[in-house]
Amino acid sequence: MKLDAATSAGDIPEGLLEPALTVGRVTPGSLDDQVLAFPETKPPKQWYFALAITLTAALIGVISIGYTFITGIGAWGNSSPVFWAFDIINFVFWVGIGHAGTLISAILFLFRKRWRNAIARFAEAMTIFAVICAVIFPLIHVGRPWLAYWLFPYPNQRALWTNFRSPLLWDVFAVNTYFSVSLMFWYLGLIPDIASMRDRTTSKLRKVIYTILAVGWRGAATHWQHYEKAYLLLAGLATGLVLSVHSVVSFDFATSVVPGWHMTIFPPYFVAGAIFAGFAMVVMVLVVVRETMELKNLITMRHLDVMNKVILSMSCIMGYSYMMEGFTAWYSMNEFLHHGFMNIVTGTYGWAGWVTISCNILIPQILWFKKARASYFWMILVAVGVTIGMWFERFVIIVISLHQDFLPSAWRIYKPTMVDFGVLLGTFGIFFTLVLLFARVLPVIATTEVKAILPDAQPSHHGDEHHA
Amino acid sequence: MPETSYSVLGIFETPDALMKAIPKARAAKLGEVEAYTPYPIHGIDDALGHRKSPLGGMVLVMGILGAITAFGFQYWISAIDYPIITGGKAANSWEAFIPIMFEVTVLFATFTAGLGMLFLLNKLPFFGHPVLSSKSITGITRDRYALAIEAEDESFDSAAAAQTLKDAGAIEVEILPAPDRSPFLTSNFILRALGGIFTACVVAGLAMFFLTKWFPLLAPMKYMQDQPRLNAQKASTFFKDGHGMQQPVAGTVARGFLPTATGTQEEAASLVNPLPRTKEVFAEGRKVYVNRCEVCHGSLGNGVGSLTAAYGGKPANLQSQMFREYPDGKIYWAIVNGKNAMPSHAPYLSENERWAVVHYVRALQRAQNAKDEDLKVVAP
Ligand code: HEC
Repeated sequence: MKLDAATSAGDIPEGLLEPALTVGRVTPGSLDDQVLAFPETKPPKQWYFALAITLTAALIGVISIGYTFITGIGAWGNSSPVFWAFDIINFVFWVGIGHAGTLISAILFLFRKRWRNAIARFAEAMTIFAVICAVIFPLIHVGRPWLAYWLFPYPNQRALWTNFRSPLLWDVFAVNTYFSVSLMFWYLGLIPDIASMRDRTTSKLRKVIYTILAVGWRGAATHWQHYEKAYLLLAGLATGLVLSVHSVVSFDFATSVVPGWHMTIFPPYFVAGAIFAGFAMVVMVLVVVRETMELKNLITMRHLDVMNKVILSMSCIMGYSYMMEGFTAWYSMNEFLHHGFMNIVTGTYGWAGWVTISCNILIPQILWFKKARASYFWMILVAVGVTIGMWFERFVIIVISLHQDFLPSAWRIYKPTMVDFGVLLGTFGIFFTLVLLFARVLPVIATTEVKAILPDAQPSHHGDEHHA
Repeated sequence: MPETSYSVLGIFETPDALMKAIPKARAAKLGEVEAYTPYPIHGIDDALGHRKSPLGGMVLVMGILGAITAFGFQYWISAIDYPIITGGKAANSWEAFIPIMFEVTVLFATFTAGLGMLFLLNKLPFFGHPVLSSKSITGITRDRYALAIEAEDESFDSAAAAQTLKDAGAIEVEILPAPDRSPFLTSNFILRALGGIFTACVVAGLAMFFLTKWFPLLAPMKYMQDQPRLNAQKASTFFKDGHGMQQPVAGTVARGFLPTATGTQEEAASLVNPLPRTKEVFAEGRKVYVNRCEVCHGSLGNGVGSLTAAYGGKPANLQSQMFREYPDGKIYWAIVNGKNAMPSHAPYLSENERWAVVHYVRALQRAQNAKDEDLKVVAP
């Protein structure tokens, strides 16, 4: 079991051979000089400009959250019967964004997709930042976040325990586990890279910081052996986890009886949607990174092409899921389900339903064309569309289902307030601030992993003797 | 200084050169052979004769432990310590515990894989290793492949080791001193760490104690206590009269308390008890009588209650001839309006309770003045 699957070229027919993973001549040394140099150079003006924008957005979010704390949750548009609105929409949205990172770093690793090595680091970082943004929402939604630790089952003077039959508690466990595992995965991957940075930096301060973070990594063969085993195990565990987290998030809805939520298709449908939205975000960010950080030889058009293909296939799964939702509503012969489904296409919020369908199903179909998959214009258009579409999908699921359920006398139109939008904007600010900072202080490409798959990186005579 | 040296590093430029040198270095049997590379090299474990990593087994054991822990914890809480029925499921319905079991299993397994690899197997963090302070380390973490022959005992011959590596094709050779064993995980270190944790706990405890004492509740944390609501019997600036509680609108009647028997007692004589004489009604009447009438009229209704003479009035002996012949309506009227020293019971008793107690008074009277026929009713 190795970091990348060594495939001896002889066994594989010509047509199935993977094309080169990098463009031009890349050596381990040149890779370090290219990637590890960023943290040591002064950022360009554009970077500061971008940071100013994202920090402003984050500040708006902090102000909105502060306002919410001082006035209470009433500052938001949530009101009977729509008690879940922007807070939960944004939570599901951000958790979903994170899933692409884990998919790329874990599932594609198990599938021996070697192209993942160049983009895994960035995608994993985005996972962590997205989960940070996601966690903000349930925290502020509890109203008194300083008591949020009540969510954990710990012995207390109130002699109360948590309810283990509640999907909301499952969520607490799932999201916390997801965050810890992602962080562990990311950090373990970073250790050898930080060791490289430690040994090249000339600044005293950086040397101290990197020395501590690299925990004394020295590249010993015995260490690598355990390291690779740990990486493989983590990949296997994270694979199960990435499928479980959004399934558990979908249980928050699916285990209730609200028409439009109570459906067995929810877990796979949510997982596919999460990967869909996450890939869109990764494509968007990678295009910018590739252009502004001069990484065109490492993050190649081929990477973008493959990722666009994933987006396209996920879009088809989403299309199927939407049809299944309609089918379930029709086949159930349940008038509440009928009504709920018709609300998605014709109701007060019908426009949101159509935004969802066109952004998630119709626009991505352009990616069937190879030209579109190779064009920044189309892929950014699709990625932005999918991000908007997936946000609206959660709006449709949550607000449309809640605002008209079994009791017509309780029906009400939900309207978000400025504070709602402020918090949403704020999390985008926080997310991109973290992305920008990450791009400047840590290696954006897992240099160690890429080194291992460069041509001539592995001994030429190594045969199958150690591959059981 | 061969006697103080600990290991000799030979640097190679390609992984192929490194792999070719390994068997030669091992054959020399001068010491333990270890390689340092910028990334994992395929086949190097076999070439160096490493055993398989035990990490998989560790992770499996800890994962299973995580599953058992999570199941036991949830079962104990939900079925034994705090059995609350939710969703109509039995307290011990274990199916709902599976998601959290899964999460905890993954959590245990991940931490074992990550931290077990770092701490237990690789013995990191360790900052004192000579390779870290060698000249060659910048190459090792970049694009050079190093092979080390490391001292196993005092008799290590660094010159011979250097020669072996040179012969095996090393482009450069570096002799390293013995490792600077850092004080990690010595008993002294553990004791000091425990002492540190203890001190930290004491400090944190005292800090919490004084913080909560001096700053009991800060806004917005005390909003739960300070709600903008009216408390019963409290003043309020909301209404003009300054009262928090307001009188009901004039003429308001509570449900079940429509005024009845408003005329004289004689006029009420014709009222008929609307309740049937059932067990339930008598039980209800008995309850009302015990709670409301017994203190004055006594448990038998003979006017001898537990009330002392200080009360002044003399409760009527309901067993007297006069009251036994009283129509129901007049008793009812007395309950509603009161009479002389007897207060009105209208505010406490609903319409049904009033009539139920009338039935009960009748039962008391009959019980104290039973006739022979009554016995027959009782005997089957
Ligand atoms: C505070 C003591 C007190 C309580 C409690 C009380 N009574 Fe009386 N009751 C009296 C007194 C004293 C009289 C005699 C009034 C009078 O001077 O005629 C009386 C008189 C009566 C009479 C005779 C009325 C008449 O027309 O002369 C009836 C019937 C009666 N009570 C029933 C009840 C019933 C039924 C209850 C319980 C719901 C009850 N009382 C509770 C003190 C009490």
